[in-house]
Amino acid sequence: MSEIPDNLGYTEDHEWVGPDEGNGVKVGITDYAQDSLSDVVFVELPNVGDEYQRGEVMAVAESVKAASDIYAPISGKILAINEKLEESPELVNESPYGSGWMVLMKPSEDRSALLDSDSYKNSLD
Amino acid sequence: MSLSQTCLHDNHVRLGAKMVDFAGWHMPIQYTSIVSEHNAVRERVGIFDVSHMGQIFISGKDASSFLSYVTTWDVNKLSEGDCRYCHILNNDGQIIDDTIVYTFSNQDYMLVPNASMISKVFDWLNLNSSNFEVNIYNKSEEFFCLAVQGPESLRLLRQYFNLSITPFKLIKSDNLIISGTGYTGEKGYEIMGPISESQNIWESFLEMGAIPIGLGARDTLRLEKGYLLSGTDFNGSQTTLESGYSWVIDWNHDFIGKERLLVQKDGEYKSLSGILLEERGVLRPGLEVYFEGEKISALTSGSLSPILKRGIGLSYLDLPIGTTVNVSIRNKQLKGRVIQTPFL
Repeated sequence: MSEIPDNLGYTEDHEWVGPDEGNGVKVGITDYAQDSLSDVVFVELPNVGDEYQRGEVMAVAESVKAASDIYAPISGKILAINEKLEESPELVNESPYGSGWMVLMKPSEDRSALLDSDSYKNSLD
Repeated sequence: MSLSQTCLHDNHVRLGAKMVDFAGWHMPIQYTSIVSEHNAVRERVGIFDVSHMGQIFISGKDASSFLSYVTTWDVNKLSEGDCRYCHILNNDGQIIDDTIVYTFSNQDYMLVPNASMISKVFDWLNLNSSNFEVNIYNKSEEFFCLAVQGPESLRLLRQYFNLSITPFKLIKSDNLIISGTGYTGEKGYEIMGPISESQNIWESFLEMGAIPIGLGARDTLRLEKGYLLSGTDFNGSQTTLESGYSWVIDWNHDFIGKERLLVQKDGEYKSLSGILLEERGVLRPGLEVYFEGEKISALTSGSLSPILKRGIGLSYLDLPIGTTVNVSIRNKQLKGRVIQTPFL
């Protein structure tokens, strides 16, 4: 059973967006996504300062078997990236909502396009 | 078309394996994770259901001279109990399939072709057998094949069968064939026999501590050792010389495809080479390889070595070992080096 925290926003492509902490929102992939990918062995992250429209390919997570695009779940600018993923991509598997976060974004739109946890859960059924 | 299933298909499903279509078979790609299964084989012991592979039996007065004619090895030189890896070539010296010749006696042999090539190999053998007194039987559907691989594999063989095995030798035990062969580069063996016995052996080896291994780890394990994957590293248009496996050719005998190889031997040709990525990234089949800004080739195989934690791949190149090349990944040129396989 996938873990789906209540306080996050989600996309049907299995990204999550964290609550606004005043200095931007964290973005990562869901527990369901990391489990489908299995061993994440490489994560290609965007550059700090890059801007993305919602739905654009922003990063790539690679498992042994396949590469998966990660889409910007919300339009905005990259404020920071999780540099730990360079050395330890397995954090995405171990803690998808915690130390496996991918980027910190400054959104340029509101969160109305995101799914809440119940809607995301329903989209998995 | 419905997918074929091995005799252990339901066991894999019960274990929660992720199942995929492989060469027309519904096979487990992983039970838990490719990396953990890979490491289990390198460090302990794993068991693979490879019952999709074929078993073709060749017997008769001319069996050894026939097999010498249709393979790159002089089978006349094999003794009872020998297993020999070699190639089956077409008239142009191109690899139809790679296989192991199992020697039961000088009139009784078995070939183990790859799953997708069983009928092609069987037809090819029949097509070329008219001048030989041989019987050729395809018993692939009657046999299971389990590979037990890893440093602890021999302990399990002693425990279960009270037997030991030497690399590239076979022993017969009741109606089972056990051979010191595999596709991982580790100590190990393969057990073949009538499918009615597969359940018992599979379950017993799991109980003794063998970890079930899927095709995902089978691929990364073989790639670290530079072993060829049929249909991927050769697909009917590459010769044995090009594949880098010239050691499987015994030049002192006549065989189908030899003339072409003799001509090629003295010329220049691309051969399958290892590429080790020097930057972070994962190599994939089909990625393009560049040398001095020019596209020269593509990868046949590619992955990430779970042991080296580096991208590794194979490609047909005519560049010396040590040459720096670039591999294009998502429009980025990542630096790699041509190396002599095995990677590990």
